[in-house]
Amino acid sequence: MSYLEDDLKMALRRTEPPEDFAKRVLTRANAPAPPEPAWWGRLAVLLRPPRVQWVALSIVASIIIPVAGVQYRKERQLRAEGEKAREQLVFAVRVAGSKLHHVQQKVLEMGRMDTRL
Amino acid sequence: MVFSLAYHFLRDRGLAEELAQEVFLELYRCLDTIESRAHLVFWLRKVASRRCIDQTRRRAFWPKLRLDDVPEPAAKIREADPMLSRALARLVASLPEKPRLVVILRYQEDLEPAEIAQLLDMPVATVKSHLHRSLDMLRDKLARTVGEIAI
Amino acid sequence: MKIIWSLTICLLVGAAGYAQALDLKNLDRLSAKASDTTDVTLDGSLLKLAAKFLSANDPDQAKIKKLVAELKGIYVKTFEFENEGAYSESDVTAIRSQLKSPGWSRIVTVHSSKDGDNAEVYLNTGGSDGGLAIICANPKQLTVVNIVGKIDLDELSELGGNLGVPKIDIEKEKPKPPKKEDD
Repeated sequence: MSYLEDDLKMALRRTEPPEDFAKRVLTRANAPAPPEPAWWGRLAVLLRPPRVQWVALSIVASIIIPVAGVQYRKERQLRAEGEKAREQLVFAVRVAGSKLHHVQQKVLEMGRMDTRL
Repeated sequence: MVFSLAYHFLRDRGLAEELAQEVFLELYRCLDTIESRAHLVFWLRKVASRRCIDQTRRRAFWPKLRLDDVPEPAAKIREADPMLSRALARLVASLPEKPRLVVILRYQEDLEPAEIAQLLDMPVATVKSHLHRSLDMLRDKLARTVGEIAI
Repeated sequence: MKIIWSLTICLLVGAAGYAQALDLKNLDRLSAKASDTTDVTLDGSLLKLAAKFLSANDPDQAKIKKLVAELKGIYVKTFEFENEGAYSESDVTAIRSQLKSPGWSRIVTVHSSKDGDNAEVYLNTGGSDGGLAIICANPKQLTVVNIVGKIDLDELSELGGNLGVPKIDIEKEKPKPPKKEDD
């Protein structure tokens, strides 16, 4: 029973979030609200021919949004790959270390048995 | 703590990070209601736990892994064994939602059953029952292995 | 054996020449029979990327970062089987034969006829990179580890040692800390 609990504590020990996690939370939390347009700005928008406005907006959006989106996706993908690679590295090192450690313990045990004989 | 709780519950780093961010953003919005450090820790655990349960309910299409489907670790070992840890973490992730959360709060956060009961608004007897049954299930799965792990 | 072991754990591997990774592809077919498989291949830019994401704030990760600083590659394959006899001696022989090439020397062999546990540790001192290989085989599990590059065996072994997690009991009541408010 106690062994299982020990193993559970080991398996469920705290995992750290990515290093820039706090920064991302603060960025989201501190993201400013979009500024209120001045009264004359709002009036100009209302008076502008809707069709021209939408065409202009859609052209700008079709350029900026994909570029920004691609950049964001690339960064997110790189971060995901890096974190996955890190997990694999930590796991691989632990496996190698645990095997080596176990061999070492076995050799030391045999050494103790030899000296007792 | 929050990220780790979400990660052990969801077994998905991306989802865990999203969930943890949401928890901290919620905290940011109601920071003035937090009265002490202890209250903060309690609040974080409670909200994180609630969001974990909500997340699994929202993702009902997520294929639920039954305990029987998770392969048994091939051997038992007393030294730190990363493969056993990984297998155990998967077994825990295959438990039903409430017992899973109880096990994680017990063994990651080292909370007593009474503290878990308060956090999850659950009777203490139910918490203990979840713990006992989960440990029995996990022990049963592990006990079916034979021999010592390869050195 | 104790003397050989103490000499080798003090050894920092590295000498003139080039060490290549072992070819472990013959083991891939064991995945079909295994109940659980792990396959880690980290070299070149992927290894550098992984090391970059190691956190300096986490003591274990900081140790790993230092340990892998001069590695060229790390490869781990583990297979766990439901039943004995799922893999054959020839699967392991194919790996061992590569470890007979110049530069590699077997430094430890441990064998238990009681439970069929076998372990071999090899060091490559014939290349400028150096290397380590570990083969662990028991009737229901096979693990092969190959590390290319300079590595400190003492530090590696320490990372794999028992972390001394204390026992806890479901029924045990800890002394309650002061306060605790509801939200």
